[in-house]
Amino acid sequence: MELFDNLLMGLSTALELNNLMFCLIGVVIGTAIGVLPGIGPIPTVALLLPFTFGLSPPSAMIMLAGIFYGAQYGGSTTAILVNVPGETSSVVTCIDGHEMAKQGKAGTALAIAAIASFFAGTMATIVIAVLSVPLSMLALKFTAVEYFSLLVLGLIAAVVLAHGSVAKSLAMVLLGLLLGLVGIDVSSGVARMTFGIPALSDGLDFVPIAMGLFGLGEIIANLERPTERRVVSQSIRSLIPSREDLRAAFPAMLRGTALGSVLGVLPGGGAALPPFSSYALEKKLARDPSRFGKGAIEGVAGPEAANNAGAQTSFIPLLTLGIPANALMALMIGALMMQGIQPGPQIMTEQPKLVWGVIASMWVGNLMLLVINLPLIGLWVSMLKIPYRLLFPAIVLFCCIGTYGIANSLFNVWLMMGCALIGYFFIKIGVEPAPLLLGLVLGPQLEENFRRAMLIADGDFTVFLSRPISAVILGVVAILLLAMLSPQILKTRKEALAE
Amino acid sequence: MTRSRIDLQDLLFGLFLVAVSTGTLVATRNLVIGHAADMGPGYMPRVVALALMAFGLFFSGRGLWRMQVGIAPVQLRPLLAILASVGVFALTAERLGLAIASVAAVLLASLGTREGRLVETVAFAVVLSGAAVLLFVKLLGLPIPIWPR
Repeated sequence: MELFDNLLMGLSTALELNNLMFCLIGVVIGTAIGVLPGIGPIPTVALLLPFTFGLSPPSAMIMLAGIFYGAQYGGSTTAILVNVPGETSSVVTCIDGHEMAKQGKAGTALAIAAIASFFAGTMATIVIAVLSVPLSMLALKFTAVEYFSLLVLGLIAAVVLAHGSVAKSLAMVLLGLLLGLVGIDVSSGVARMTFGIPALSDGLDFVPIAMGLFGLGEIIANLERPTERRVVSQSIRSLIPSREDLRAAFPAMLRGTALGSVLGVLPGGGAALPPFSSYALEKKLARDPSRFGKGAIEGVAGPEAANNAGAQTSFIPLLTLGIPANALMALMIGALMMQGIQPGPQIMTEQPKLVWGVIASMWVGNLMLLVINLPLIGLWVSMLKIPYRLLFPAIVLFCCIGTYGIANSLFNVWLMMGCALIGYFFIKIGVEPAPLLLGLVLGPQLEENFRRAMLIADGDFTVFLSRPISAVILGVVAILLLAMLSPQILKTRKEALAE
Repeated sequence: MTRSRIDLQDLLFGLFLVAVSTGTLVATRNLVIGHAADMGPGYMPRVVALALMAFGLFFSGRGLWRMQVGIAPVQLRPLLAILASVGVFALTAERLGLAIASVAAVLLASLGTREGRLVETVAFAVVLSGAAVLLFVKLLGLPIPIWPR
């Protein structure tokens, strides 16, 4: 079986000693940032990108992926113990998880969250492996025309399924595309929008932009809100859930995994959508829905499974087609490009060791997380006691040094400062910056493929509709956009994404 | 959130987009546009800028037209402290070295909140600066001076 060969090859990569180490580093850092409210995975990954330059591409990706799913894991600890979501994806876990903690069942809630996450992570790894092969076969038929349509689908779908106003997100994608155009034009060698600044001739680095928009902008906004953190003080008694608890949680775990796996593959999914949907589903299926919000164990198991499964399956578009499903995956694409790997539909056939290594490492990483999380829970809880007044200056400093380190350029530090101001402005006017990052990273590829497609077709725009695969993809785009105009769907979307 | 007669969020976003697209159109005015089969370097920037302009006008119009929420008041303290911290780092890092730039950046950033205590903040800044030098210069070999040259 080809699948098993591939998985074995992936495992042999993932189990190399140095990759095991980077996986461990990734999940530990991920758990830490997941636990700590006030810094998200996007600035963290941006911050750590410079450290991965010296690593081999698989090691770099394994570590960065570990940060992502590790953060999903860690977020639940804060959600349960402090009722503050360490991560957006843990918002739902706060509801019943913290309620359980108040009833003295913090240990059970933490254990169920960890078990649900591990179970979902394992299943999602299998889903990724099974889906990857047919998708990559399809991808091999792609030319510039199909790839352009696919990039459009990726961008539009990410916008439609993410938070916030669709119109505003579309505008943000365009803004990102525009920023992506800055630099020397590849085909003519003419400088575009560089304003005579030599540092801009290679284009804008996305790391300072990500750190400014997501990291510093968020910190400024955080500082405006008075925060209070109350760790549930009673000691965590038993970490081993009773047989009864497990029986109640298991079906929810299964449903959450299935739901999360499906929603995660969709662009724009990943973090936010799966846990909310799972919570809604569990509440609907429950015999006594009034238990929810008062410490229902299904309300922890389902969303936690969904969120972890979604986090992992959101790697599928990236690993098979080279298309990021969300802003974080866009950073991963950036990491690949910095490593000299051109992401695209050929990625699976050209980089099998990388792709399968990352897939296999996810399962390894999930196993590590289970071990790190439960026995070391006390350590993570004590991390929650670090006051924000010390945390944020340290983050600011590391952002400065990290941004400088990418190209040893002070220009990037200034760029980050400007983006911090703009990021704060976006938060004030209620606009999500994530689509901008997607547009920025995909912009150059979008333009290149568009120009190539137009060159092949001699300027005939109908080529995107006359080729069958491309026509189907654009059809999906049209359906998505039309669906957004339907009031019924708009309403459901609002409910599904409401926090 | 305060109520206001215009949707300030939409209006500001719209004006921002109009400004960006105007800037782009001005900055790319001398680039060759070409045509679809053979695009010049100015083709895509102008297409995107025009689309942004349309969005900008739409949001500005909607912002003026409908009654909606205003924006929460801007607090200058955190904003200025963080921006100043980054700015000072950019000004001093290569001239005065990482050790001094780090202390300055951490101290300035700490001003973003009133919760800070002087002694604790200074001690923390010195410790962080030392850690940053060890990690980035000694361990990772970042080519940045540690002390003033």
